[in-house]
Amino acid sequence: MASSISLPRVESGNPLVNALRIVPGVLLLAGIGYAGKILEHSVNAYAKAHHWTFPNIEYVLWAILIGLVISNTLAIPRLFQPGIATYEFWLKLGIVLLGARFVLADVLKLGGISLGLVVIEITISLALMTLLGRLFKLKPKLTSLLAIGSSVCGVSAIIAAKGAIDADDEDSSFAIAAILALGALSLFTFPAIAHALHMNDVSYGLWAGLGVDNTAEATAAGALYSDAAGKIAVLAKTTRNAMIGFVVLAYALYWAGRGQAERVTNKAAFLWKKFPKFVLGFLLMSLLVGFHAFSKEQVVSLGNLSKWAFLLTFAGVGLRTNFREMSQQGLRPFIVGALGEVLIAGLTLGLVVGANRFWGL
Amino acid sequence: MSTDKSAHTPASKGTALSLDTWAVIIACLLALAVRFDILKHVGW
Repeated sequence: MASSISLPRVESGNPLVNALRIVPGVLLLAGIGYAGKILEHSVNAYAKAHHWTFPNIEYVLWAILIGLVISNTLAIPRLFQPGIATYEFWLKLGIVLLGARFVLADVLKLGGISLGLVVIEITISLALMTLLGRLFKLKPKLTSLLAIGSSVCGVSAIIAAKGAIDADDEDSSFAIAAILALGALSLFTFPAIAHALHMNDVSYGLWAGLGVDNTAEATAAGALYSDAAGKIAVLAKTTRNAMIGFVVLAYALYWAGRGQAERVTNKAAFLWKKFPKFVLGFLLMSLLVGFHAFSKEQVVSLGNLSKWAFLLTFAGVGLRTNFREMSQQGLRPFIVGALGEVLIAGLTLGLVVGANRFWGL
Repeated sequence: MSTDKSAHTPASKGTALSLDTWAVIIACLLALAVRFDILKHVGW
């Protein structure tokens, strides 16, 4: 179970062997992503030629759906697993390159708004999940992991917190399964709700970035709405990710104070270790574009490279989502997670709508 | 075991770079390749 949820690491003494081991899985990701693009064009062209009224399904959804079908109907050979696990690398590469499509002023303006909303979201989410965990009598450390995962950045936050609070593997698997299952559901519910509410791209992007926990799903949920919404979702989610160190440090100090985790001796080193470095890469890329280091044509090329990296990510999101394996993780963590997520989604929607009225997003 | 043990990790086996750092390095290399039109020359 855990092997499909926690990311398997490619470990071998020989770097060349490691590189070769990821090739089949990466080719599978690329194949699924490309098939998604082909399906988008061919289905739309077919529907148009036959005068069908057919909703425009973007390649993002096709790639996720193909991955979902494969992972839930076929047993994926082990040969492909190391390469499939690289989807998180492609996600981070895509985010750094996406920095080129942001003018630094926009990053500062929207990032500032995002930061304010993120602080409110994290505070309320942590309190809410802690309360729900106690109500449903979950183990305290499992409650902590669910709270961290749902308030900051999903799986990465849970993995970062696991060592810091000395949580056991079973609790981590429960929390990761709940966050992934709810992330998969949000891919379909968030865009549908936003279309029903006629949300604009900026508002929706902010909502997806604040309300969807896992970075890959938040990126996909944004891209499913529109290209512009996808950009804003990544910005909001990146702002949220930047808070990971502070939240994990607070929990590490709390559990160390209770004698149930190791003491943090160097808080600055701890924060640096937990800080997601790709956020700095994103800002660097935006800064370089701001200083005209690239021509307009080159910025477009960087944006296209970012899209290709995301395409592999979206294929990976589908491939690593196995509903049967997730359902074996127990119902109570899932119910707590689901209740919390619905409340957090409602709360963040309210925050974004309020921000839209106040700042005119 | 300390929670911030990375700060005390001996360097004898070399410093393993995180996924994030690799993503930034590869992104920078790609950006350089775009900046100096290397990708264009290879037909991208």
